[in-house]
Amino acid sequence: MSKIEKALKRAATERHLALVPASASKQSPVSEERALMPAAGASTALELQARARSSAAIALMRESTPKKTNELAERRIIFPEMGENPTVKAFREVRTKILQATQGRNCVLMVTSVTGDSGTTFVALNLSSAFAFDEGKTALLFDCNLRNPRLHLLFKEHAVSGLTDYLENPTMDVGDIIHPVGIERLRVIPAGGRREIPAEYFTSVRMKGLLDSVRARYPERFIILDSPPMTESADTQILADLCDYVILVVPYGTVTQAQIDDCVKGLDRKKLLGIVFNNEPQVPKFGRRR
Amino acid sequence: MPILTEYLVKILINEAFRYRKAIVISFAVILATFTVVGTLWPKGYTVYTTIVVDERNIIQPLMQGTAVTTEVTDRARLARDIIYGRKIMNQILADAGWLESNPSPQEQEEIIKRISAKTTIANVGRNLIKVEYQDTDPERAFKTTTRIAELFIAESLAGKSAESLAAFGFIDKQVTEYHEKLTKAEEALKEFRSANLDAQPGSDADIATRLNNLQTRIEEATRDLRETEIKKMSLEKQLSGEAETASAVSRENQYRTRIAELQSQLETLRLSYHDTYPDVVRLRHQIEDLKQAIQVDQQQREQARASGRTVIDDTVINNPMYQQLRRELSATKVQIDTLSARITQARQQLQSELERGKRMQGGAAKLAELTRDYQVNREIYQDLLRRRENARVSMNLDKENQGLTFKIQEPATRPLQPTGPRFWHFVLAGCLLGIILPIGMLYGKLNIDGRIRVPSIIADRHKLPVLASVPHLWSPAETATVRREVQWLSVLAGVTVLVVSLVGVLRLLKGW
Repeated sequence: MSKIEKALKRAATERHLALVPASASKQSPVSEERALMPAAGASTALELQARARSSAAIALMRESTPKKTNELAERRIIFPEMGENPTVKAFREVRTKILQATQGRNCVLMVTSVTGDSGTTFVALNLSSAFAFDEGKTALLFDCNLRNPRLHLLFKEHAVSGLTDYLENPTMDVGDIIHPVGIERLRVIPAGGRREIPAEYFTSVRMKGLLDSVRARYPERFIILDSPPMTESADTQILADLCDYVILVVPYGTVTQAQIDDCVKGLDRKKLLGIVFNNEPQVPKFGRRR
Repeated sequence: MPILTEYLVKILINEAFRYRKAIVISFAVILATFTVVGTLWPKGYTVYTTIVVDERNIIQPLMQGTAVTTEVTDRARLARDIIYGRKIMNQILADAGWLESNPSPQEQEEIIKRISAKTTIANVGRNLIKVEYQDTDPERAFKTTTRIAELFIAESLAGKSAESLAAFGFIDKQVTEYHEKLTKAEEALKEFRSANLDAQPGSDADIATRLNNLQTRIEEATRDLRETEIKKMSLEKQLSGEAETASAVSRENQYRTRIAELQSQLETLRLSYHDTYPDVVRLRHQIEDLKQAIQVDQQQREQARASGRTVIDDTVINNPMYQQLRRELSATKVQIDTLSARITQARQQLQSELERGKRMQGGAAKLAELTRDYQVNREIYQDLLRRRENARVSMNLDKENQGLTFKIQEPATRPLQPTGPRFWHFVLAGCLLGIILPIGMLYGKLNIDGRIRVPSIIADRHKLPVLASVPHLWSPAETATVRREVQWLSVLAGVTVLVVSLVGVLRLLKGW
């Protein structure tokens, strides 16, 4: 039992959290999420209420075992203490641009790439971290790359339940697949047990319902889908239909203009927010240990 | 994909870092290779000498137009032909100490090839030939170069001398030949002249003139003859109609006239006087006398006519017209005879001239041929004589080495410093190439590679906003690895440079 959960229990007993759902905890998110779903866009008053609630909930999202900065650095995950690192700056820039596009509302954002090994997971994970930098915001990262999942590596036990488990098992609760990863305000839904026909999962009503529910649950929660490359999987197309915005990752010195053209053709231009040019070579600064 | 210049440096630095191993290793390898090559590169000693070809000596202006000095246009080429010849090369092998190791003929051939390859002969000025030779041994280089220049000069002069001698010999032979021909032609001409005396140049023209004259004369004489004959005929006609004598009818008439006069006087007198008046009587007597005289005249005429003889009496006189015509006729007959004779003579002359002309035609052709032969031979002979004298002078010039002279302007000197690329040249080239080559290859690769390295291209070409350009995030472990790698590479580059420097210093110290 984590510290947060204990704190929540204490809070509940002290009636501090009459309006605050324990979304971060694994205990009771399902009922609350379901109950609060219609409230999301109903009225301004309700929205304000929901925002206040989510802010409070975020405030309570405390990591039981936050990862240390050197571990994050080793895993190539950005953290606020990195300061003026150009990579951090770049992700902040992306975040700002997304917020400008969504006018501050939360959204479902798909991160895909032109080819494999483009660093989609890196971009998706760090973008989520960038969102989570803001103490008023939280991020939920989906690992939708079912053929080649990566995010489960963040966990000590690799065989944590994930997306496929949830989609296959109707009795499973959303809360069961949302896992903390040791980064403040960031939750991850791993891919789950590997399956061979992922498109079938994504076309299911349950998938759409899942996305809708997690989006509506908290207005300050940004949902980011780490999806497979456009050229390698048909899943991406289906996911693109489900999400609000798409970000295309173009790695440095790997793809040609024709490949980009092909990808862009397959995407809805309105949803396509833009391109993140990834992995630009940089001479490391040896003098300063991070 | 052509890279925009503004990004070029940044991309090159990034890519160079990406391929750091390859770049540093290739730098080290290239520098090391060049250093080794520089160490092993044989030291070359270059010796040169310049030969001045003096064709403007004091003799030339004096002999202008008479003696032909040998023309040399591309002296370097000629020099090359002479120097690379087997004769000089063998001499050089012997003189410059190449044969000390007793090389086999094949080896000698190789040595000659090597010497040829290392010798450069060039025109440096209009009259300057530069002979340059490179060798690893300074002494041998000096000897070889000196000998090449000396042998070249000797050979050239000998060659020139031989050439002009040969030219003189040839021309002399030709002169003798033409002299014989000329003598023969003269002989033939003389024989022909003595055989055909009238065969003179221009005699045919003479004959033609004479023929013309004769023709004209014949024509004129014929025309005159015809005219004269017409005249004769006309005279004869006139003569036949003219009486030989003319009767003197006039005397009778005179008598009658006198009678009439006297009658009238009588009439007049009878008007005043009687018939007995003396004057009347005298007049009557006179008239009677006159009447009597008339009668006598008439009687005489009839008597003469009856007898048929010409009676020359006072009444008959010669007809002057007849006389005149008779004279002219006789003169005309004489003229006709003269003209006929002249025509006959002229015709005879014409005939003889024609025959002579025919005879002349054959002779003239022969004469013309002989004369032509003679003239042509004479001209050539005279020309050759002049040429032989020129050739003699040229030959003497060459004998005295006064024509085209060769002088060594700058003698070869013993080389003190090696030439050619030095050790530090190689090191420098290795350094530069070691840097430029990998970077250049990288640049080439970037230019050929169509993959996107500049995000703004996407923004431009695809009209897509670029949200951000995310630099590579180095994890501490990666940084450590890279740091170690960079250290190793630095050590490698440093060691290479150090070793090269050491080799250089050692060379300097030992004087390799």
